[in-house]
Amino acid sequence: MSPISIADETWWCPGCGNFMILKALPQAVEAAGIDPRNLVLVSGIGQAAKLPHYVTASMFNGLHGRAVPHATGIKIANHALKVVITSGDGDMYGEGGNHFIHAIRRNIGITAFVHNNQVYGLTKGQASPTSDLGFTTKIQTHGVISAPFNPIAVAIAQDCSFVARTFCGNKEHMHEMMVAALKHDGGFALVDILQPCVSFNKVNTYQWYRERCQPVEASHDPFDRTKALALAFEWADRIPIGIIYRSKRPSFESQQPVLAKSPLVEQYARA
Amino acid sequence: MDVNIRIAGEAGQGVDTTGNVLAGAFASLGVYVFASQNFMSRIRGGLNWFDIRTGDAELFAGRQKAELLVALTAEALEKLRDDVAEGGAILFSGAEADGAIAIEFTTIAKEVGGSAIMANSVAAGAVFAVLGYEIEPLLAHLAAMLGKKGDKVVQANHACVRKGYELAQARGTRLAAPKPAGAPRAVYAGSMAVGLAAATAGVKFVTSYPMSPSTATFTYLASVADEYGIVVEQAEDEIAAINMICGAAYGGVPAMTTTSGGGFALMAEGLSLAGVAELPVFIMLAQRPGPATGLPTHTAQEDLKFVISAGHGEFARAVFAPGTPQQAYELTRRALEIAHEYQTPAIVLTDQHLADLLKTSPPLDESYRPIDRHIVTDPPDDYLSYKLTESGVSPRALPGSGAVVVADSHEHTEDGHITEEPDVRVRMQDKRLAKQKGMAGHALQPELYGPQDAERLLVCWGSTYGPCREAVDLINGGSSKAQVAMLHFGQVWPIDVETARRAIDGKAVTCVEGNSTGQFASVLRSLGVLAECNTMLKYDSLPFTGEEIASRYEP
Repeated sequence: MSPISIADETWWCPGCGNFMILKALPQAVEAAGIDPRNLVLVSGIGQAAKLPHYVTASMFNGLHGRAVPHATGIKIANHALKVVITSGDGDMYGEGGNHFIHAIRRNIGITAFVHNNQVYGLTKGQASPTSDLGFTTKIQTHGVISAPFNPIAVAIAQDCSFVARTFCGNKEHMHEMMVAALKHDGGFALVDILQPCVSFNKVNTYQWYRERCQPVEASHDPFDRTKALALAFEWADRIPIGIIYRSKRPSFESQQPVLAKSPLVEQYARA
Repeated sequence: MDVNIRIAGEAGQGVDTTGNVLAGAFASLGVYVFASQNFMSRIRGGLNWFDIRTGDAELFAGRQKAELLVALTAEALEKLRDDVAEGGAILFSGAEADGAIAIEFTTIAKEVGGSAIMANSVAAGAVFAVLGYEIEPLLAHLAAMLGKKGDKVVQANHACVRKGYELAQARGTRLAAPKPAGAPRAVYAGSMAVGLAAATAGVKFVTSYPMSPSTATFTYLASVADEYGIVVEQAEDEIAAINMICGAAYGGVPAMTTTSGGGFALMAEGLSLAGVAELPVFIMLAQRPGPATGLPTHTAQEDLKFVISAGHGEFARAVFAPGTPQQAYELTRRALEIAHEYQTPAIVLTDQHLADLLKTSPPLDESYRPIDRHIVTDPPDDYLSYKLTESGVSPRALPGSGAVVVADSHEHTEDGHITEEPDVRVRMQDKRLAKQKGMAGHALQPELYGPQDAERLLVCWGSTYGPCREAVDLINGGSSKAQVAMLHFGQVWPIDVETARRAIDGKAVTCVEGNSTGQFASVLRSLGVLAECNTMLKYDSLPFTGEEIASRYEP
């Protein structure tokens, strides 16, 4: 099978951060040594969730907020597949928040690339769970008063097996994080990808992120949970990017006696 | 002849344990058994009862009166003694009670067996004595049931059975009981029959959120998961459950979830996804009375219209409504086959009554016989997940097979990508609805019971099968000259309208349903299967009995 190719036409606004992620994904898949035939892209609903439509790979574009359960079912049916979620902050942290928590608990072997632009794009500019306090929209007319969801801290609190953050404007760093997450073989891998929305988020712009996103120190030990948690709470002048946390929990599929022999889909015909 | 034994007490007293022991022991004698349960939604206290009818002919429903009441509490004795049949008897767990054989089950269990838990065995022994059965088959059944727990446990229980048998025998009360009649020795609950059918048909992934009265099927599947190679996962909510099985169906394995009405309500969006993405998912919905939380441990047939129309948009689905554990087994398998043949959701609609009832049945096949998943193993290079075909069914390839396999929740093109082209939209909607026509053409024929030429029909669906069937015999065996027959729909959606019309045309129809609005009658009317009919409705949260239908029936 030929490498993954990218569609000529998309439904995104010019300048959207999604383009960078779209371009980076096939390269990361190739660099991680994944056979494109074994790749399944999964998404829910939102601008980011359209990404699977723009590449030549098997995909499951399901319901808003349900990318995680879709991906979980696919992985359980055939754990030989590389199941990768590409969806947005509203999909993964808002509508799908409960599934996000429980997928981390399960430690199911899914890679989740969350395009986090801190705003709702598809529905034209309402606050997202990660919008900063005070962020004003046509709905949050006096500014956001609910505390932003902290996906990194929540993931670490639940002992997620791989937690990283990157910025789509830093191509090399994003590539490195994507490859590391795709190569992670020990369960649920989260990469929170900070991504500007040029149409509806005039605060968290390319420049805003570029000024703040700084790679974690080379000396950072991602297995140190306390230090990782401290990094997770940094969101001001400096936003740490990099592999923030890792744990050595066994994956869901490695603990299922039924899956030890072969993927379920291959066991089906046994007498 | 048949005899009804009612074991009643508080939750936590072992009402169901005693009932299960006796149901199995009676079946081992070769008499027919039909047992049903009435439980309150609590773990301790309250008043629960377990009815076991045994007979020398096949039994399909419960009865209101009991020939033998086994009252484990004073409250049970007080509340249920009026429902003891004339000439019946009462066994009471206590020192003494008017008109009852009082035996201190618990005290004896402690003295003889060393544990109050064995009160069930004392009671079972006493029941066998009152019915005049030999003690040996009961001892043998208990030995088989408890064998895994070791000889000591078996011996202690045997001592308790003997003591209970001896004490009851000494009191001299005897009730007439059915003689062995060559009944099948196997006893099945509806909940287990659904689970066994799913496991043998090749369901490889089960995920549910526990909800009465569906949980027994989920539990059963977990108990056989290692044997049949099934991954069982407790979902964080019903939304996760339906969406996980959508993913697993796409991945290539038959997958299912179990729930009740409230959980199914949460699944509606996922069901719609399975419709548009054309995924073969299977759902077992065990009904209970609503709205909302309703009566969690009781029975109803209130979700029919909900199930046939649930999910936004319009899409194909099949809905089956078995009436007995054996039908639950057969229709679960059929639902899985239909879901895969047509790549669309299929639902088996049971209820608390069917889920919990126990009935002697011919042995159900426990061998693994996976259904056809209708998979194209060698997809072409130009494979299209939603290829337009006359039947509406596209060749099905699996991800990982080399083809680009797409599932999409939007309206989509043949290759599964988002479209807003009106023409494509129409072709795709027609494609999906063509499957509904195909399924209607192969719909299960309704079952007629009773005289073929009867001019009066009791029309029913789901678990009302048993009581309607018994009502037919009661009515036709009575003094009235009106002959009735039963027409039972084991598939309630889609219906082959022509066949149904022919079966009903010119007959005086009474729809017998466990709801307050006559939902199936309304469905049949809307399809033009019938113009007018009477309804006999019951919505007190309890199952019909044959006697009740016969006495309420007005020709």
